[in-house]
Amino acid sequence: MEFSDVERKMLAVLQDGLPDTLRPYEDAAERIGIETDELLTILQRWKQQGRLRRIGAIVNHFKVGLGAGAMVVWQAQSDRSEEVGKILAGFEEVSHAYERDISENWLYNIYTMVHGATAEDVQNTVERMSKACGVTEYRLLVTERELKKVAPKYIKESLK
Amino acid sequence: MDKLDCRILQALQNDFPLSPKPYEILAHKLQVPFEQLWDRVQQLKAEGVIRRIGVSLDSRKLGFASTLAAVSIEPGLVERAAKIIGRFPEVTHSYLRKDNFNIWFTLIAADEEKIGHILEQIRSALSLESSQVLNLPMKRLFKLNARFNVSS
Repeated sequence: MEFSDVERKMLAVLQDGLPDTLRPYEDAAERIGIETDELLTILQRWKQQGRLRRIGAIVNHFKVGLGAGAMVVWQAQSDRSEEVGKILAGFEEVSHAYERDISENWLYNIYTMVHGATAEDVQNTVERMSKACGVTEYRLLVTERELKKVAPKYIKESLK
Repeated sequence: MDKLDCRILQALQNDFPLSPKPYEILAHKLQVPFEQLWDRVQQLKAEGVIRRIGVSLDSRKLGFASTLAAVSIEPGLVERAAKIIGRFPEVTHSYLRKDNFNIWFTLIAADEEKIGHILEQIRSALSLESSQVLNLPMKRLFKLNARFNVSS
């Protein structure tokens, strides 16, 4: 990957999130060593290019009443994977939906993250999802515990 | 959490303004006095409801490779395995799940070769067979919306 010096510094500063301050862009720009306007301009450009998905609060979903969650994996026929993925992505209880490569000892190709207040809610949602997409070969992998959650580290050296 | 907290959380999760004074803009949008908004935001952070104001980047568009991986670990060895896996800075999220494949984690690295190398290191550190490690790179994204509907 080719980044300019400014972009590398931006990644190093922003990969852990915006500073926890009243003027987060101003403070981030100062750490990067550029003007606030320049930082905002580059972020706008990254957004247009699709490099920047979103800036926003990362909410701890356990603390907002969505304590139950499961990764549900589906074995969709390969010629139906797009259709099935789109149907499942349409459920509001689903935060993530992907198609992934299969492995010889793991034949599931569609992955969804399903959230709910209780395990029973999640189970009910999954049953509705199965009916909607017509896939009955699925597996519910209940989340027992978060072991690690950090922001991706794109740049190893931290400028902070 | 009251109604105002929920409205603030909802607004903060959606597009955080790209502007020199983002919190003033949010206060205006929500029709709340700025000081009140700022106090509530600080409180939600202190309570751990807001983990951080994240900058979510598309690692692929930035030129990085990523994958979802899983390993099958005996129940008694989970803690040790979690530590070994978590030590890699390329591992961003890791969860314990109820399944034969019980530790699931996401990896972001410079390229696929590097990812393969890290998985091999993990495999050998945990004395696993290749069949006990899954490498499941993404083929297609249908939805990515880690925003939650918050109600009081």
